Amino acid sequence: MKKRTVFLTGLKAMLPILPGVIPFGLIMGTAASNAGLNIFETMGMNIIVLAGAAQLVTVDLLTKNVDSLVIVFTGLVINIRMVLYSAAFSPLFEQSNILTKTVASYMLTDQSYAVSIANEGLYNKRNDKIVFYFGGAITMVLCWHFSVVLGLVFGNFAPSSISLDFAVPLSFMALTIPTIKNRPALLVSILSAVLSILFYGLPYNLGLVLAAGIGIAFGTILTENLTRRSYEI
Amino acid sequence: MKFDNFWLVVIFLGLGTFLIRYSFFYLSDKVKISERAKRSLTFIPCAIFPALLAPMVFFHEGSNAVLLNKERLVAFLIATYICYKSKNILVTIISGLAILYGLTQI
Repeated sequence: MKKRTVFLTGLKAMLPILPGVIPFGLIMGTAASNAGLNIFETMGMNIIVLAGAAQLVTVDLLTKNVDSLVIVFTGLVINIRMVLYSAAFSPLFEQSNILTKTVASYMLTDQSYAVSIANEGLYNKRNDKIVFYFGGAITMVLCWHFSVVLGLVFGNFAPSSISLDFAVPLSFMALTIPTIKNRPALLVSILSAVLSILFYGLPYNLGLVLAAGIGIAFGTILTENLTRRSYEI
Repeated sequence: MKFDNFWLVVIFLGLGTFLIRYSFFYLSDKVKISERAKRSLTFIPCAIFPALLAPMVFFHEGSNAVLLNKERLVAFLIATYICYKSKNILVTIISGLAILYGLTQI
């Protein structure tokens, strides 16, 4: 398979997710502008951190004059979920050189991970899977930077009657549905959602980590004595 | 400069986030991942994404009194059904936004 074709396939697989990325970027850009950050600070943060949810919370806490150490800790708790993406991807990049590993992990986001997982069966060869990943991940990163700049310069320009920010949870949901392939996965997703609501008040956004952690443990225990075939829906 | 420690916060958050992302890329050739661990990896997306989005949808206070200001929850559940049926991300996002628009206009 030609590299170019595979790369473009990855790019195209990312396109339907972008309506969920752009509003997020616009919100981030608008928040940065409201907080008084200039374009260098905003883009510096965008490039160095490259994690929307954590950046949004960081800007919010900065404006509230929260202690710097607490801000960094809160941001890292939000991002700790990426340990899981790293773990899920590590077998794929096992034989890659350090540069590929560095760039690939730098671009690890909810969207780039989810698009790769949702299209897992598309290619058999390791190399094709990696090129596909980069096609999606690079598209995602460019779109993120672009939409944050748009938000910074123009503010959230969509009419307020259309709640564009609702596209963010919708895009996460649309990415999850294809990964719910069996009954345990369905139970895990419901459990995690309910727990995240119950744990919402916990400090430093720990609720997210706790809810997902319990969900994963529950799924693992649930499938302990089942072979793969026996729990297909 | 508006915030004293802005760059310090950004650099440490960025560095920490990178280490989180790189963690298993570094560990993978040093430790062997067990079958059990591999099985738990398959539950990552269906655990993390619902936990990420549920509070966004559930705690949002809207303006539709008939739906107890929870029109986003209603729109979201309908959009979930549409996604399940259509298997199309773009259709899901657009119809979700349209349903919410409709519910806020009532």
